[in-house]
Amino acid sequence: MSHTLLNVTNLHTDFETSRGDVKAVRGVSLSVAAGEILGIVGESGSGKSVTCMSILRLLKRQGRIRAGVAEFEGRDLMKLSERELSDLRGNDIAVIFQDPMSSLNPTLTVGEQVMETIIRHRKTSRAAARARTIELFKLVRIPAAETRVDAYPHEFSGGMRQRAMIAIALACDPKLLIADEPTTALDVTIQRQILGLLKDIQARMGMAILLITHDLGVIAEVCDRVMVMYGGMVMEQASVHRLFEAPRHPYTHGLLASVPDLRAAHRARLQPIAGSPPDMLRPPPGCPFAPRCAHARSQCAAAVPPLFGPDDTALLKSGHTARCWLLHADAPKAEGINT
Amino acid sequence: MSNPDMKLTENPWALLELKADAAEVIASPARGYWGDVWARLRARKPAMVGLVFIVLLILAAVFGPMISPYSYFEQNLKLSNIQPIFNPYTVSTTDEDGTPETAHFFLNAGNFNLYEVDARGALIGLIRGGRKDMAMRRTTYQIAGQAVVVDYSQQPTRLFVDDVETRPGGWQWNKTYWFGTDQLGRDVLVRQLYGARISLLVAFVATIVNFFIGVLYGGISGYAGGRVDAVMMRIVEVIATIPLTLYVILMMVVLQSGLISVVLAIGTVFWVDMARIVRGQILTLKQSDYVDAARTMGARPGRIIVRHLLPNAVGPILVTLTMLIPSAIFIESFMSFIGLGVTPPLASWGTLTSNAVETMRAYPHQLLFPAAAISLTMFAFNFLGDGLRDALDPRLRK
Amino acid sequence: MTQTTLHANSGFGRWLGKLPLGYILRRALMMLVTLWAIITLTFIMMHAVPGGPFVSERMMAPEIEAALNAKFGLDAPLWQQYFNYLGGVLSFDLGPSFKYPGVSVNQMIADGLAVTAQTGLLAVLAVVAVGVPLGIIAGLNRNRWPDTAVMMLATVGVAVPSYVIATVMLYVFALRLGWVPTFGLDDWRGYILPVIALSGFWLSFVARLTRSSLLETLDQDYMTTARAKGLRPGQILIKHGLRNSLIPVVTVLGPVVANLLTGSFVIEQIFALPGIGRHFVLSITNRDYTAIMGITIFYAAFLIFMIFIVDMLYLWLDPRIKLEDSE
Repeated sequence: MSHTLLNVTNLHTDFETSRGDVKAVRGVSLSVAAGEILGIVGESGSGKSVTCMSILRLLKRQGRIRAGVAEFEGRDLMKLSERELSDLRGNDIAVIFQDPMSSLNPTLTVGEQVMETIIRHRKTSRAAARARTIELFKLVRIPAAETRVDAYPHEFSGGMRQRAMIAIALACDPKLLIADEPTTALDVTIQRQILGLLKDIQARMGMAILLITHDLGVIAEVCDRVMVMYGGMVMEQASVHRLFEAPRHPYTHGLLASVPDLRAAHRARLQPIAGSPPDMLRPPPGCPFAPRCAHARSQCAAAVPPLFGPDDTALLKSGHTARCWLLHADAPKAEGINT
Repeated sequence: MSNPDMKLTENPWALLELKADAAEVIASPARGYWGDVWARLRARKPAMVGLVFIVLLILAAVFGPMISPYSYFEQNLKLSNIQPIFNPYTVSTTDEDGTPETAHFFLNAGNFNLYEVDARGALIGLIRGGRKDMAMRRTTYQIAGQAVVVDYSQQPTRLFVDDVETRPGGWQWNKTYWFGTDQLGRDVLVRQLYGARISLLVAFVATIVNFFIGVLYGGISGYAGGRVDAVMMRIVEVIATIPLTLYVILMMVVLQSGLISVVLAIGTVFWVDMARIVRGQILTLKQSDYVDAARTMGARPGRIIVRHLLPNAVGPILVTLTMLIPSAIFIESFMSFIGLGVTPPLASWGTLTSNAVETMRAYPHQLLFPAAAISLTMFAFNFLGDGLRDALDPRLRK
Repeated sequence: MTQTTLHANSGFGRWLGKLPLGYILRRALMMLVTLWAIITLTFIMMHAVPGGPFVSERMMAPEIEAALNAKFGLDAPLWQQYFNYLGGVLSFDLGPSFKYPGVSVNQMIADGLAVTAQTGLLAVLAVVAVGVPLGIIAGLNRNRWPDTAVMMLATVGVAVPSYVIATVMLYVFALRLGWVPTFGLDDWRGYILPVIALSGFWLSFVARLTRSSLLETLDQDYMTTARAKGLRPGQILIKHGLRNSLIPVVTVLGPVVANLLTGSFVIEQIFALPGIGRHFVLSITNRDYTAIMGITIFYAAFLIFMIFIVDMLYLWLDPRIKLEDSE
């Protein structure tokens, strides 16, 4: 295995609102190895985007990082000055956002928005930056790159804008690319193209990718490892293969059951998870998923379950962890979860 | 990975009853849209202060003149330009019978007159019978058996009692005319309250007229859509470029001064914003499914506008209305200030201010009251409008 | 090929090349239509005054009135008067004054123009050079004391009518303290109060608008993108923040200029400045209809021209507007 690029430990992030603090991220730990694609999956409001934005300290005004360490190549991003951090942003760590419509500045040409990143980190001339931008446009397969650099965002289609966003992200050969739901706002056919492009580029350039999505299909297609988040916590973490084969958390089960499997011989019925996510202003004292969990026990409502690992139970193999009381040695058997 | 917190509760593995909906109930306490708006508005202190001020002002404008012993038009030239606060002098002697005689009076530095007051500060009247010495620029009175000389040969005016320069003892509120009187001896307070009546009346009526024109115009334009909408919006565009103050002035010139003219002029000018907002709201709402539903069920256009579209546009309309009222108050007072408003003896805050400017050097208090009244009212409506806008648009909340 | 690249490389050339001529022509046409509408409306209104222009005067012998009517061309049919007047306006001749024999409306405007333009220009400058920076300071210090202070000041400026500000300042600074002259523009101190009174409302308005617009811009996704790219804070603010947040500010500048002018009616009155506004108010009290008509049209034309200029500025600031046109 290659070395660890990013190592986040015990991250806590709140959002201050007029009604109190929304506890968006509650003790998330994760690590990304160089060249690896880690997927984070969860419903909206599960804290997956906030986790990633916290790592780069790009939260909006109300966001507050309460605790946590985020080591990138040995330096804690939480302790860097804004200036040191800005040297990393767009250079070693780049971000692709969900909505390419609003993520590009409407009053500057797309080319300018790529070029300014290059000029900022590479200290090149404008002409060189422009040449590099055209090169990047070709890399992300924007047709007629030479003329499109001078176009404005509104002259681009949604898919083209996301390609431009990717070009911005790739501008300085980042070691880590954070892609925050890069395909959510796009048409299905465009989604496939963009995913294909990302995979392709990753294979060619070898950077690590932290891919946030709510789409398990995307995870299955692109990622090496996957992390399931719910209620601001990591619920389960495993290799993609392992997670799809032997999910150990009832929530992961629910997610997998809600995805129609077209390849399955018997067309299993799509099963949505009943209920809605917890109110993060006042998160429940126990497992956040307990109110919606068919297997929930009184222990689940009483205390947040710890992350169980292979040391705790034979049900989990190497690298597989899950946060569920049913993995406790004394827990009764529940069909499909710990049998 | 081993975890420290593995403590289990009593009977940990009892099945938990599923309460999937509990979370939703907690997340949103049942409160209607308007209840929500009201709660948010109440949390905004400036808006509430504004609202309370406006309510008090309306009450004072409606009932104040009824309670007051004075009318807005009755003149009393003997008691003109009296201040609301004065510095009374006290002169006393004992006459032959041994009964003490005391007189309180004050000097009006603006017209060098002396006015007699009682001990509480209620006005008794102008002191007459002074011998004017034009050459020496002094007037001599006999008050309570003593010679009182007002010497205005130099500034500030001096007062001598039996040739001794005397200073007033402290100050006193005017108990008769709380806000003083104007240059025609009319009670400033009651004129102020009548001014509030006129200003508020003009503002409210003009706003309502604007409201109807705007809603009608915008509603038709938005609902009809297509070419009709394009033409109607072009017209609005043209009107929007015409400086409205100019238009109001022209209207006033044509209609001649007067209350109804002011209302008409202001009422037909400021509907453009309203029309645009209503149209915009209707355009966005027109695409909504429930309007389609109503249409397929055969509801007539007018009914769709009134029953389905307008209730949803009510928020932005309300904010525009609240902001229109201070604009109307301002324009009315502006017109009155340049002499195009209501005709005397009617007075609005604008005319009161304008009149006060003429006597500003000698009687600044006459300027203070209308200026303060209109400024505070503008504050109140602005605060209320701001608060209302924030309360109606939760997206703007921090 | 090389030529196009060269052209495309320079920002201004690119802008010129993409300039939507159709849009500009349409705006110019709109401008003329609006002006025509205003001339017509003004003409109709002034001729709708009950009884004609000389009635409000003291009783007048019929033959004198007829002579006057003939002199001002009022005996011709209305449509002919209208076309005469329209022709006059098109050749920049606003006709003679009704009240001052031998004085033309053009002369009246020319008389007051210097004073009005001086105070007006200074006021516009104050609005832009003070209002915008105040708004930026407030926006960048959201909910801290500079924000609170600016917003309090701006609230006063928006709420208190200009004539109240003017009279109160006149009383305090000119009459009581004697720091500035009570009237006239004989030395630079004479400009202070009129310019403050004139610009007060719009300065406050622009400060508030700049603040809210900046706050909205700072919340935009592309601002997060700019931060994610590692750009310097100054670069993010100026290149991405200010440019976008000033777009709505620029759009109100046209109306601001116009409203400063109409505001000058009362300010020139209070400070006894011999500007166009004073002439206008005098014309109204004198019922000098040709002067009222002429000055109104002059104001309107100026305003419409300003709005056109601002539209063109907007075109440069916000490239999205071109898209709407090409469809």
